[in-house]
Amino acid sequence: MALAYTDYYEVLGVPRDADQDAIRRAYRKLARTYHPDLNSDSDAEDRFKELGEAYEVLSDPDKRERYDRLGAGWREQERQAPDSSFEEFFDGHGFGGGDTRFEFSDDLFERLFGGRAGAGGRGWGEQARGPLRGFDREALLELSLEDALEGGRRRLTLDGRDIDVNFPAGVRDGQLIRLAGQGGAGRDGGPSGDLYLRIALKPHPDFRPRGEDDLDVDLLVAPWQAALGATVAVKTPTGTAQIRVPAGSSSGRRLRLRGRGLPGAGGRSGDLHAIVKITVPKDLTDRERELYEQLAEAATAEASA
Amino acid sequence: MSTEERIELTVVARRAGVRIALVRRYLEFGLFEAEAEAGAEETPRYDPQSAARVAQAERLRRDLGLNYAGAVLVCELLDRIKELEGRR
Repeated sequence: MALAYTDYYEVLGVPRDADQDAIRRAYRKLARTYHPDLNSDSDAEDRFKELGEAYEVLSDPDKRERYDRLGAGWREQERQAPDSSFEEFFDGHGFGGGDTRFEFSDDLFERLFGGRAGAGGRGWGEQARGPLRGFDREALLELSLEDALEGGRRRLTLDGRDIDVNFPAGVRDGQLIRLAGQGGAGRDGGPSGDLYLRIALKPHPDFRPRGEDDLDVDLLVAPWQAALGATVAVKTPTGTAQIRVPAGSSSGRRLRLRGRGLPGAGGRSGDLHAIVKITVPKDLTDRERELYEQLAEAATAEASA
Repeated sequence: MSTEERIELTVVARRAGVRIALVRRYLEFGLFEAEAEAGAEETPRYDPQSAARVAQAERLRRDLGLNYAGAVLVCELLDRIKELEGRR
């Protein structure tokens, strides 16, 4: 039961003298706009509940009259009625002739015969009854590549509620993690919906995703290593590895490290692609300069021969 | 596609919070389908997502005054929108 005062006419966007047809039309249109199954905005569910509440009151001439007359306090009389179960009702409470005025309100009637529809939207009468599972929701969980590989735990705040989430090692970009029963509340005793967390991997400074579970990484090599061949260290998602650069490797050459990419579905891991990037030292020692000059002479002589 | 085990129709109903007759009704309207490989002797099994799907169709039906065919159609159109958005 909403305690804050809500202007139901404003919620439905109708003037205070609107007739029943206008109220029904406004409600139907807004219900289609804000139905949480059709609208993924985070506040759609609240808007939709508010609409249902507004329509419940304004579509019922008795409730509307009471609302118009009493404004914010229109439910007060109902609140004073015993908020009780069926047993208590027939147990004699509320009939004692004391100072509690008993009113057989619609509200109580609903509680006794069919329950209240928690999510509102009851514009179509009898068919809108009975338990029903709540909405499934989706939220984004941003992870670094390292976190995704290691697995771990996060605390998320959704609608003012803290939820602790464990995510397994090896989650992928776009993967959904299901948290059973953490979605929208069920109606009339129905089960809650589920919450789905969509994994979003943050861009990594070194590793770039390639296809499903392969990764690219730059492999910086010196010119002589590229020319003569060398074994150099390469960064992997879990540490470093040694890789052999074959003699005569130019920039852009792709060297594959099997199984060093992302853990794949079914236990087979992706590959890490080390891409050769020849890097020239900015400052040369005198000795190095001398050797490069010799190399340049030799190469020029070779070319003109 | 979910990796969870396929479930029976009674489980679909329980998870959706509705009576099994309603689940059968949505099955007749083609909202979801049984696993193709179920043998004649076996109890048919369903994708665990079916429960959420039944609940969604039923919410739409109740809240927007649709009939069963209309609710199933909206669910299918929502699937297509999701697919198209994912393709961008």
